Amino acid sequence: MAHEDYKEMLAAQVLNALEAPEMRDLEAHLQSCAECRSQLSDLEATAAGLAFASMETIPLEPSLQLRGRILEAVRADVTAAGTAIKEAKDGQQPQSSNVVPLKQPRTWSSAQTWRAIAAGVVVVGLGATLFVGKQNREARQELARLTTQVRDAHRQLIQQREAIEIVTAPGARMTELAGTKVMPEAHAMLAYDKNGRAILMAKGLPPAPAGKAYQLWFIAGGKPMPGKVFTTDASGAGALKDQVPPEARNAAVFAITLEPENGVLSPTGEMYLSSAS
Amino acid sequence: MQSEQAQVTDVEILRAVARGDELALGALYDRYRIILFGLLVRILNSREEAEDVLQEVMLQVWRRAADFDEQRGRPFTWLVTLARSRAIDRLRLLGARQRLADSAARNSPHEATDAVKDTLHSEQREIVQRALADLPKEQTRILMLAYFEGLTQSEIATRLATPLGTVKTRMRSGMIKLRELLGNEIKSLY
Repeated sequence: MAHEDYKEMLAAQVLNALEAPEMRDLEAHLQSCAECRSQLSDLEATAAGLAFASMETIPLEPSLQLRGRILEAVRADVTAAGTAIKEAKDGQQPQSSNVVPLKQPRTWSSAQTWRAIAAGVVVVGLGATLFVGKQNREARQELARLTTQVRDAHRQLIQQREAIEIVTAPGARMTELAGTKVMPEAHAMLAYDKNGRAILMAKGLPPAPAGKAYQLWFIAGGKPMPGKVFTTDASGAGALKDQVPPEARNAAVFAITLEPENGVLSPTGEMYLSSAS
Repeated sequence: MQSEQAQVTDVEILRAVARGDELALGALYDRYRIILFGLLVRILNSREEAEDVLQEVMLQVWRRAADFDEQRGRPFTWLVTLARSRAIDRLRLLGARQRLADSAARNSPHEATDAVKDTLHSEQREIVQRALADLPKEQTRILMLAYFEGLTQSEIATRLATPLGTVKTRMRSGMIKLRELLGNEIKSLY
């Protein structure tokens, strides 16, 4: 395919409207074509502007709880927390020279603004102040360790509450998933209520490689229907909330495979866990 | 309308997020939650799914803020691109097990409060809607089907009973015309 052909595909690419093989070809071309990359950036900005066309006259707002849930998920995110701690320890600064680091006064005023915005999140504010104020490395490491412990405990508590709610609902069902030969020590339990509200709790699954995640499948009549994706923590534990489709609530097989991180429509990766058929 | 200084702050916020600053992530969420949530509800037609995806997007921002390259685009473009891609992946997953028809999402909106008027983006909405109104209708329709319904060019061709080549041409012409129409205004959009 010629450069001009690829150029004509750029508008469709920014709209996610190419078929998968075309997208792969174009992405390969983009690696070596600066002109197409530059045009793609322009068109991406135009496409981002289209988001404003989705706004209602009276805009919608997410629930007030979502902000807290996001910050909670972030705190529970072991990988990123580890990165942050490592960077703080190494004393790394951003590489770009035109961005003022946080420690300088101008950016510090931005931090104060953030704090004002996040006034409700007192614990986070206190934690951040402690973190900045304490120059002692051991104290920082101890704080990081304890914070991680609290986050993990909090996350587990929420998961357990949700699991209890589902398991104790009238007509609830529980299915055990056993590790396949790929990961014999893995184990998971899927509980779902009569409305299909489900929670999966898995153990013994190694953290997924970069760009990958575990995906749940509902197999009814031999046909796999995709569930959501999840990741596991350093201890190999992971949990997922999902909705069992109506046709899979009776006599279905449940399975877990390793897939690209955003999930796929049909299983492509190895099966790690499966319920009895 | 936001000033150039506010734009620099977006980049600063992302750099702080990259260093593991949770408050910065909260600030980013506060600034863009309305536009991102509106986009996600429009694509997914479900408040619950939209909140779920918005949470995933913010987690992705947290993990990948260090990958953001300001030479390649604005933080806003990056955020919308992440959000839309995630939403379309989710839409395609849901489509495979029957698309959700949660019309209640539109009937019982949580309306934005007075306190968030500065993030309502009403001026930007007018600029984009004016530009869309200037496009030929068949081009606008194709752009909307791709952007909000996540349809590929072939799916649009089938839906509209139009030859695939025509769909491709209209999509490309529509995006190029839109880029011209937004032109300089796009820099003041966000």
